[in-house]
This record gives sequence, structure tokens and C-alpha cells, in this order.
Amino acid sequence: MESENIVVSLRGLSRSYREGEQTRVVLDHLDLDIARGECVALLGRSGSGKSTLLNLISGIDLPTAGTIRVDGVELTALNERERTLFRRRHVGFVYQFFNLIPTLTVEENLLLPLELNRRDKGAARRTAIALLEEIGLGDRRTAFPDQLSGGEQQRVAIARALVHDPLLVLADEPTGNLDADTGRHVLALLDRLTRQAGKTLIVVTHSKAVAGLADQVLTLANGHIAAQAREVAW
Amino acid sequence: MRALVRRASWRHLWRHPWQMVLAILGVALGVAVAVAVDLANTSAERAFRLSMANLAGEATHQIIGGATGVDERLYTRLRIDAGLRASAPVVEAYGKSGDETLHVLGVDIFAEQSIRGHLNGISEVALQRLLSHPNTVLMADLTARRLGLAPGGRFTLRLGGRRTEVELTGVLATSARTAAALDGLVTTDIATAQELAGVVGRLSWIDLVLPEGEQGKDLRRRVERLLPPEVTLVAAAARTEAMTQMTRAFHINLTAMSLLALLVGVFLIYNTMTFAVLQRRGLIGTLRVLGVTRAEIFRVVLGEAVLIGVVGTVLGIVIGIVLGQGLVRLVTRTIDDLYFALTVGSLLLTPAPLIKGSLMGLAATLLAALAPAMEAATTVPRTALTRSELERRVRSLAPRLALLGALLALGALVILLLPTRDLVTGFVSLFMLILGMTLIAPAVVAGVTHLLAPVAGRLFGIQARLAIRGIAASLSRTGVAIAALMLAVSTTVGVGVMVSSFRSTVAVWLDATLRADIYISAPSLRSSRTASQLDPQIVQHVRAVPGIEAIASGRSVTVESGHGLTEVFALERPPGRGPRYLLRAGDPAAVWRAFGANEAVLVSEPYAYRHGIGIGDRVRLRTDDGERTFPVAGVYYDYESGPGVVLMNRELYERHYRDRAIGALGLYLRPDAAMDEVMAALRAALGGGQEVLIRSNREIRQASLEIFDRTFTITNVLRLLSILVAFIGILSALMALQLERAKELAILRATGFTPAQVTGLVTVQTGFMGLVAGVLAVPVGLVMSLILIHVINRRAFGWSMQTLVPADVLIQAVLLALLAALIAGLYPGWRMARTRPAAALREE
Amino acid sequence: MNVRARIITAGVGAITGAALALGLLWLTTSGPRAAREDASSNLTLSGTLATREAAGFARADRIRPLRFPRDHGPHPAFRNEWWYFTGNLQSGDGRRFGYELSLFRFALRPPPHPARHSQWATDHVYMAHFAVTNAAGKHFHFFERFARNAVGLAGAQAAPFRVWVEDWSVEADTTNGFPWRLRAAADGLELTLELTAVKPIVLQGDRGLSQKSAEPGNASYYYSITRLDSRGTLLLNGERLQVAGQSWMDREWGTSALSEAQQGWDWFALQLADGHDLMFYQLRRKDGSIDPHSAGALVDPRGRITRLGPQDVGVEVLEVWHSPRGGRYPARWRLTVEPLNMTLEVAPVLADQELDVSIRYWEGAVDVGGRRNGETLGGRGYVELTGYGTGGDE
Repeated sequence: MESENIVVSLRGLSRSYREGEQTRVVLDHLDLDIARGECVALLGRSGSGKSTLLNLISGIDLPTAGTIRVDGVELTALNERERTLFRRRHVGFVYQFFNLIPTLTVEENLLLPLELNRRDKGAARRTAIALLEEIGLGDRRTAFPDQLSGGEQQRVAIARALVHDPLLVLADEPTGNLDADTGRHVLALLDRLTRQAGKTLIVVTHSKAVAGLADQVLTLANGHIAAQAREVAW
Repeated sequence: MRALVRRASWRHLWRHPWQMVLAILGVALGVAVAVAVDLANTSAERAFRLSMANLAGEATHQIIGGATGVDERLYTRLRIDAGLRASAPVVEAYGKSGDETLHVLGVDIFAEQSIRGHLNGISEVALQRLLSHPNTVLMADLTARRLGLAPGGRFTLRLGGRRTEVELTGVLATSARTAAALDGLVTTDIATAQELAGVVGRLSWIDLVLPEGEQGKDLRRRVERLLPPEVTLVAAAARTEAMTQMTRAFHINLTAMSLLALLVGVFLIYNTMTFAVLQRRGLIGTLRVLGVTRAEIFRVVLGEAVLIGVVGTVLGIVIGIVLGQGLVRLVTRTIDDLYFALTVGSLLLTPAPLIKGSLMGLAATLLAALAPAMEAATTVPRTALTRSELERRVRSLAPRLALLGALLALGALVILLLPTRDLVTGFVSLFMLILGMTLIAPAVVAGVTHLLAPVAGRLFGIQARLAIRGIAASLSRTGVAIAALMLAVSTTVGVGVMVSSFRSTVAVWLDATLRADIYISAPSLRSSRTASQLDPQIVQHVRAVPGIEAIASGRSVTVESGHGLTEVFALERPPGRGPRYLLRAGDPAAVWRAFGANEAVLVSEPYAYRHGIGIGDRVRLRTDDGERTFPVAGVYYDYESGPGVVLMNRELYERHYRDRAIGALGLYLRPDAAMDEVMAALRAALGGGQEVLIRSNREIRQASLEIFDRTFTITNVLRLLSILVAFIGILSALMALQLERAKELAILRATGFTPAQVTGLVTVQTGFMGLVAGVLAVPVGLVMSLILIHVINRRAFGWSMQTLVPADVLIQAVLLALLAALIAGLYPGWRMARTRPAAALREE
Repeated sequence: MNVRARIITAGVGAITGAALALGLLWLTTSGPRAAREDASSNLTLSGTLATREAAGFARADRIRPLRFPRDHGPHPAFRNEWWYFTGNLQSGDGRRFGYELSLFRFALRPPPHPARHSQWATDHVYMAHFAVTNAAGKHFHFFERFARNAVGLAGAQAAPFRVWVEDWSVEADTTNGFPWRLRAAADGLELTLELTAVKPIVLQGDRGLSQKSAEPGNASYYYSITRLDSRGTLLLNGERLQVAGQSWMDREWGTSALSEAQQGWDWFALQLADGHDLMFYQLRRKDGSIDPHSAGALVDPRGRITRLGPQDVGVEVLEVWHSPRGGRYPARWRLTVEPLNMTLEVAPVLADQELDVSIRYWEGAVDVGGRRNGETLGGRGYVELTGYGTGGDE
């Protein structure tokens, strides 16, 4: 369609869950395009489907109806293994609760995506170390996650999301579990790194501060995108 | 596999070493029991086969005799009239030196060279001495070492009540190959053997080497023409086979017991692996988000299981070998008690049981880890699936498992009803039933907790309700832990009820059968083919003792044919007295009339079962007049002989067997005679001659029960081992469960629970689990005992018994489960109480 | 000792070892009929044992009147005893055969013997050798067996006469007389003969006491029947042959015989065509000299005896034969009996008639040719050679 600039393209996307006798519609015929290098903020109340949308875009979950295209690849047409491999290569995640691997050191956490993508060991190490330096944790390489503060953990998580050079970074409430000050720092880091690398970033957030950084702010309500802060018009 | 993925997973296990150690220990113990039993079985059987093969040597055939063996003159006739060079006479007996059972083999060294080679290497001086000096023997070097003897040394050999001082004239050097066959063997000149065993004039058998083909058949016909009716020519291999088959059922029983331990081990592995997976669901979810595929996760989990399996198996084999050393002694003793004398010096390390054990250990581990690994692989990326959702899933799965379990149990019942006597089929259905019951357990747990939680809440407050609901809330683990404990405890119930039913049946039987006041017998080892006998003068001395009203006599001989051994018991009943055998079939009046009139014989229950014989059928026996058939008048209960007994009136026996010896006497005292005085008079009258056992009714009853208890020692040992495995299982399950609930407990602490209350909560919870397992184990164990009593024992031995359910076995079982659970809950409870809530709360 | 070592290392079983022990016992102490391998002074334990234990046995230390049939039977008070039958036979089609059936008794221990209950208990063991020389077929068959003197497996009795080791036996039909039946079979070979004495019993030595070395008691009681008409059947290679010829019986018993210095002997039993029978044994000393106790006798057709001493008979070895099993045997002799004006040449019908049994020795059929008082003289006989079988002291 418009151009190869479109990274994420959702058409007629629906997702509903069966809960006992009832069916709860979370997303209802959603259409959305996100351009390369764009930063999108997703707002909405709890249970409005923000996380579901992230899961769908990353191939973790499958829609009830509709199609998802990421970088021209139709995720909905892939099987579980192909989606996993796609995610492994093209997606980076940042979570509210950091979700670092507690049994791996900081450096190993960064090396993991690289190893999964079969990067050369030496190069991978150099990349990881460089990135750790960049987020200011060069001296904590051998620490385990539980030895770091929340902010530090989230910085590592951001680094891990970016280290294998993905197409797309998905962040779910990245500052939700941090105090305001730390949150600001972390957010700044996320913004800086993704933009610097030219990545597309989708952030689920409650925070106006986060939304303020976004190129596009979407609000999910009742399964629809209720408001778009700025039209994308090319 | 990705190294970091593996490392992430492994470091988790390393951080919970106890869990891993317990899992490894569970595998190890399961494998160890299986390997030990297998090794002991194999050792006993191989030792038996080796010693039979060594005994038979080059012999292809053997001439076996009637009740008291073969007349020695037959050998001379074969040698001289038939010119049969490849033949050798053998006198065999079993004796004792200290506690050691010795297999005494009397040979003619001049005939040996064509049959056996084990005299090679003995110095000619020693052989000459053996030939010309009475009471001189040879034995294997390792046996001599064990008895602390050197050539020239003397020791006391007890044989059929005779104590003889014998001289060790030389030792047979053994190699690793021959050690098992020669250990315990005492080789002597045939004359010495006859004198030691008190069987002058008789041979145990004659070995022959008949060539194959037509020539052999010709020779065989020629030999057979020479044979008097009381002897028969059998193939050596068939004879060994028939002997080996006798103990088959016993070996199968042991194997089944050992598999039970392994099964409990499987539960343990399942438990550990499931827990390890659930505990790491966050980690696994994150890995999945990062793009680790399901297959990779599956392989990581399975890989860990394999490692646990390998370490556990290796450890298990080592423990198994050690355990086997002890078991082989028990197995040998049981075979000794039940079947025939067997000398097994040591455990034989053959590769087959070790390989089998390894494969079983690994297969069991993989099988047990399969479900958790699949669970791990299907973990949805991220932490999308909450814990409660998982538990909901398990709870919805529980009814389906229960259904499957019910189907299994039903299938087991159908198999049980099949008209077969196959022991293995019996065990298959037993295992199916156990498995079925185990699968039903989680559903029952869910139901019980659902029902009990409100009741407990009302009675003991919110804490109790919380504790019990916690069990249902983590059914994925508690269900399995309870099932494993129930399995182990129900085994103890099943086996316990079976053994006590058996024992009480035997006691009742003894009371009914042992009617005489005093018994006199020559000490003997069971079923050695030269049955022990009393010196004739003893019988005369006894008759002279005052105070005796009537005397019954018994003579037990083993009649051998190519199909195996039959024990014939010749009974002489004084009028109106004599043992009152309980009849399983037949009208007592008619039976005893036919018996007394020498018209028919009685057979013991195992014999009837084994050979499918009932009243009106005929038993075929080799007599001194050749094969004869005897009508069966009745079937009587007997719990002494594994293979079974044919009971014959003394007169009938003497008509068909030229044997006038007596093996034991039962004395009936006059009403006015004092037992002590008669015993003293007997001791005085019989002192100095043959060593005989003079025992009162009560003593012999006690001795019989002691032998019974000894027979079941091995069963009890295996039972304890499987409880040990289960205990480790419940310990690891509970520890894992409680440690995992750290956060929940921390919240309780934060809400205002005191450490003591937390400990109490954990204790109530584990105690309740134990109680549920114990209570569930009772019906399952009872069903198991019914199968053991009415199917397994019957098929294995042909014994029927009254079912007796002793309350103490059931109470013990419930207490055992409770105790195991409470002990297992101690550490987690203690640890939970000590944990600072803040630290636990901070953890995700 | 090296013989024994060799036999054992050759893998012969302990049973043979037992036989050997008995054999050693006997060779160190018994008379000329015994095979003697080696007499080196480091004799075996069995040897020393034997010498020591000779104590309890009766000794051949004086002349005792021999009576028959009593003395055909066993003499258990003495340690060793044998019944030795050799003979030359001819089948109907003219084929030539030789045979040996010798039965030996050895006491295991001197009297008194302990009372035993078992019939198998025994104090005597019997050994028997059976050999057939097939001259035409150029084949020598030999067999050995042992049995205890118990439960009827082996034994001897005077009346009716019977000596047997299992189914090898020689026995009289009636109490007092001939014919005797000889029967032996092994390995498809079977010999059945009826033996009838054609000459009276000859008492060897001094009225039957045959001194073998200087020490009193080193002697045996020795008698012979030098000519027994023999006829019967020989089953050989599946062929049943009618055979006939002459046999020779030697009977000897004693407790000890040879001295340390003696090495072995050459023994000749020759039946001459003119009806004379010549027996001569030559005891060889370790130093190579001839022992003065060598002796012999000529029996005329009517049974009259001419005794021969060592100085009367000259033995000249004309040929030697090397045993493939080791050892060098004399293989042709010239016997010169000067008092009788007789010269005989003795030649084996087959070179290899060595019995490789517990004790290796040579015992074989021979042809005799020669002259007496200028007249040519033929004959047949048996020769026994001991002490050659192995390296020994040679």
C-alpha cells in the first residue's frame, strides 16, 4: 500500500476471549498503520486491550479475525514456530517488571538475544559491552539482576530489547514500576536509543510524560482506537 | 541448543539444590531397588544354574532314583554289564558348618574324568588321602577362606543330625569363572559322602554322557533296559530347567516389588520436574518472548531431566550393588526355606541387570519429565498465564484424569476376571489398578478440600480454611504429592494385610495340624534330596519312654522325575489320632476312610493348584515299581512346601517304596503324663546318639512361624524401601510447594500472622495432605491386598488364605502418611516462619 | 620328576594325577613288572611316603609255600600285586597280533584299615592296561583304566579265580581249573580268549621268592604259567576275527623291590618253537652296569626248569628306536645263553609298542630267531622295557 515505510499494518483486527458462557471482545475490527521510526503511545484503561495488542503485534497471541503485517510479513499466516523465530529476530520487549532472566548476569542477559540470533560470539560481546557502557552500566556486567536497582534493571531491559537490532521495540508500561524521577531517566534513555537507532517503538503507558514523547498517541477503548493525536498523512 | 538458555535454566536448578538432590535421590533409590532385586535374582538363578551345570559337568543325562535315590549296585551293573564308561555316581547332600550351608558332593574320582573337571589341580597326595581316609573333604579356596580353614584343618560338619569332625584335605583353586559354581561346594569321596549323609548303599543320581544321534539313542535304549522300575533316565538340561522353573514365581514376585519402588520414584521425578517448570514459568515466559521456540524449551527441560536421570541412575546402580549384597542373602535364604537348598556365596555382577536398571532409570525419568516438559513448552510467552489459571486448568483436568483412572481400574478388574493362571498378567492388572487409583487421587483431593474447607473454617477459623484451600489451590503439586504418598502407603497396607492374613492363616493351620504333644525330628535343610531320617534305634528308644500313649510317624521324601520334584509325605496315624489336616476339598469322613484304607492319597493345595488336580483325579508318581497313579481323595491346606506335597498313608507308601526309614515322630502323651517329665526322659533316652530335635507342640509352632517370618523379611525390606522413596517424594514436594508460596505467606505475615501461625498453617496443610494420602491409601491398599491374596499369591504358590484385616496395619498406615507429611513439612514451616516478609514481598 | 611335571603341564587331569601317584608309589618299590621312569634321589613325596608307609605291609622276606588256586587270588597284606597276561595270536587268515592285559592292585594304606560303613570305602585301587598289536595293520592300541576295589567295580578272588577291572576280566569257569576266560574291550576293540595252561605253574626265583635287590624284603613272590593255549575272537575295525595262539601269565606280589641305584629293566618272555620257554629279566643300574639280581629261567616242554643267573645270559642291543614321545629304546637284541648253547635274535614286530599311559613304558610282541645246539630255532614272545621313556638321568 502506501509504501515500504509502513512497518506495522493491522487490518480488521479482532480479539475476543471466552470466559465461561460469555465472550469478551477486547479488540474490535481495528485498522492501524505504523510507520518506520515512529514512536507510538498506546493509552487506555486497564483491560482495554493494550497488552493484547502488543502480544498480537509480536506474534505471541493470535487474533480472532483480521490480519497483522509486520515489515511486510503476514504474522497471521505464520505458525507458532515461525512467529517465534520472527519475534526472536525482529522484536524487542521492555516490560513493567523488567523480566530480566534472574539466573543470567547483566551481560548474559544482553547476550541472550544475540545468541538466539546466532551472532558471532566476539562481535556479540563487543556489542553488548558497548551498549552497557552506553546505558552507564559498564561496571555491572557480572552482576545478577537482583543486585540492581529497579531503574538499573529497566535500563538493562531496554538495552536487551535493542541489542539484536530489531525492527520493532514494544514496551509495556516501562516506567510503571519506577519512581517518577527514575522513570523519566529511563524513558529518556528508551526514547534516545530507539530514535538514535531508527527503531519503531510502541509504548503502552498511562503516563502523560510518555505520551508526550510519542509521534502518535492512540487511545484504546471498547476495542476501538478512540482518538489519534495526530493524523498520519502522507 | 543455546548455551545461555541452558545456563539460565540450569542456574535455577543450582539455586535450589535440595530439590535436585531429592529428585536424584528418588531416581537413585528407585533404580537401586530394581537393580538390587534384579542382581540378587540373577545371582541366585545363575549360581543355581552354574552349580547345576558344574554338577552335571559333561553329563547329558542323569539316572535319578525313587524316594531314596538310586541303589548303588545299579552303577556297577551299568559299568560292567553295559560297559558304560562315561558314567559317574554322585551322592549329594546339604550340610552346615556354622551358619554356612555347604553342598556336599560325593564322587568317585576314577569316574570323574569323563564328567566333571573340578578336581583338576588337586595334588595326588590329597586325592589318595581323600580316597583312603574317612571324613576327608575338599572345598573351593574361597569357601575355605571364609570358614577360616587351611588344608589339613578340621571342622565340624553337621548333616542330617550328625556332627562329624572332617578334615579339609585340599582346596580347589577357583577362577572368576568357576567361583560361583564351586563356592560352597564340598567335594569328597563317595564313600565319605554316604557315611556323612547316612545314606549308605544309595546314590543321589548317576551321571551319563550319551552321544548324540542314533548311537546315543541306541545306547540310551540299552541303558534303559537295564534300569529297574524305580529309577528313570532324564536329560540333564531338562532337569535343571524343571528345578529353575520352580522358583520362577518367587523371582517374579520380587521383581514386581522392585518395580513398585521404581514407580514411586517416577512420581518423584514427575513431581520435581513439574515443580521446576512451574517455578520457572516466568523465566520460561520471558524466554519465549525473546524468541526461544517451544521445541527449544522442551529440549532444555528434558535435558535437565536426563541429567537428573543419568546422575540418579549411576548413583542408583552403585547403591543397588551394595543393596544387592544384602538382598542376595535374603533371596537365597528364602529359596532355601521354600524350595531347595541353594548355596550362593556372593553377588554376581552381570551386566544385564545393570543395563536394564540404567535403561529403566532413564526411561522412567524421561517418562516422568515428559508431561512437565510439555507443560513448559506450552507456556505462553510473557507471564500471560497466571498461576491461578494454571491451577484452574489442572483442576479441570483432574476429573478427566479420574475418568482415565477409573477406566484403568476397570480394565484391571476385567483382566483379573480372565480365566488365566498367569502370574505376570496378575501383576499387570495389579499395577493398572494402582495406577488407576493414583490417577483418581487428585480429583478426590479436590473434592475433599472443597467439602472440608468450609467445615474446617467453621471449626478452626480462617487459618484452617486457608490451609486446606491452599491444597486445592495448588493441586498441580499437592495432587501428585498426595498420590505418590498414597501409592507408597497403600503398598504397605496391601502387603501388610497380605502378610498378616497369611500369617494368621498359617497360625490357624498350625494349630489345627499340630496335634501331637511332642515332636522328634532329625535336623535337616529343606528338600535336600537325601531327606533326613531318624536312626532306627531312636524310634525304639522313644517307644520305651513311659507316658506316651500313641506315636505318629512321618517320612518326607522327594520323588524326582524329569518334570521336577514331588514331595511325598508318608504318614502313619495312630488310631483316632494323628494330625488333623484341614481339608479344602472333600468330605472329611470319606477322605480319611479312603486314606486309611490305602485307596487314595491327599494332595496339598499348592500341588492341586499347580497341577490342576482335584478330587477324583489321579496323581502320577514314580515309585520303586515304576510310574504309578494314585486317586486323589482330598485336597488339604498346607503352607510348608512351595511346590506342594502328596500325602500318603504309611502302609501305601511302604507298598510302593522300599524305604522303611522314619523322618519324624509325633508323640501323643497319656492324659496323666507330665510334658516336662516326658521331655526329660526322652532327652535322657536319646542323648549320645544322633542329634535330634525334641520339641513341644508350642516350640514347633513357634519355629514354623519363625521360618514364615523369615520368608517375608525380603518383602518387608522392599516395602520399607518404597516408603523411603515416597517419603523423599513427599518431602521434596512439600518443600517445593511451601517455598514457592513464600510470597503468599509473606503477605500473611504482613497482614499480621505471627511466625508461629505461619508454621501452624504449613503444618496443618502438610498434615492434612498426609492424612488425605493415608486415608486414601487404606481402601487402595485393601484392594491391593485382595489382589495379592487371591490372585498373586494363589497364582504364584497356590496358597489360599483367609483375609484378615488387622486394624493396626491400617492405623499404622495412616499414621505413617501423617508422620511422613509432618516431618516433610518441618523444614518449610521453619523456613517460612523465619523469612522476613519484606524480602519475600519484594521478590517477583 | 620331569615326567610328572610334563604330564601335568600337558593338561592331563587330576584323575591321571591320582593314577600317577599310585603309579609312582608302585614304581619306586615294586618288582620288574613295574614301569620305572626315574629313580633320581629327589623322589616325590609319594615316593618317600611310599617308603615310610611300607612299614605296615607284609614283606616278601622269606619263602612261603605257594598253593593254588589260593595264590591266584589277591594278597591284600602286600602293597602291590599284578596279574599279567601277554600273548601272540594269529587270525584264521594268517594275520599276526599281540595282546597285553595286565591288572594291578595297589594298596592305598597299610593295614589295619578303619571300619567303614560305605561299600564304596576301599583300601585298594586297581589299574589295568590293555594293548593290542596289529602287526599287519602296523598299529598299536593301548588303554588304561582305574577302579576302586569296591562295589564290584574291580577286584580279584581265588576260587573260582577271577580278576577284573570293570568289564576287563580274566576268570575261571569252575573253581579249580582251566579254561580261563579273558575279556577286554575298549573303543570298538574287543578281545575274548579262552586260556588253557599247557604247562604247569613255574615258581620263579627260589621257590617263588624272587629277590630284586640286596635288602631283605626287597623281593616279590613270583610265579608264571609260561604257555597257555589261547583261542577266541578279536573284534577290530568292525571285523570279528577268530584268533588263536599262545599266552603267558606272570603273577607277582610284594611290597618293595628295587633299590635306589636301580634304573629299570629289560624283560624277555619268549616262547620257542621247540616247546621251550625262556624268561629273563635284566635289571639295569644307574651307572649303566647290570645288576647282579638279574635272573631268568628256561622251561622245557614238560615244565622242567633251568634257572639262569646274570652271568648266564648276555644281552646285546643291535638297534635302537627313538620314541616320538621322547626317549630311546633298544629295539633288537641278541641273547646269548651260554650254558644252554643258545643264541637268539629278538626283534619287535612293530617298533612303536610304547604305552603312553600314567607311566610310559614299552611292552610289545617280538619275533625270535636263532640257533640252539646248532639247530635253527624260531619263536615268539613279549618284551617289556622300562626306564627309557624319558630323559631322566640319561
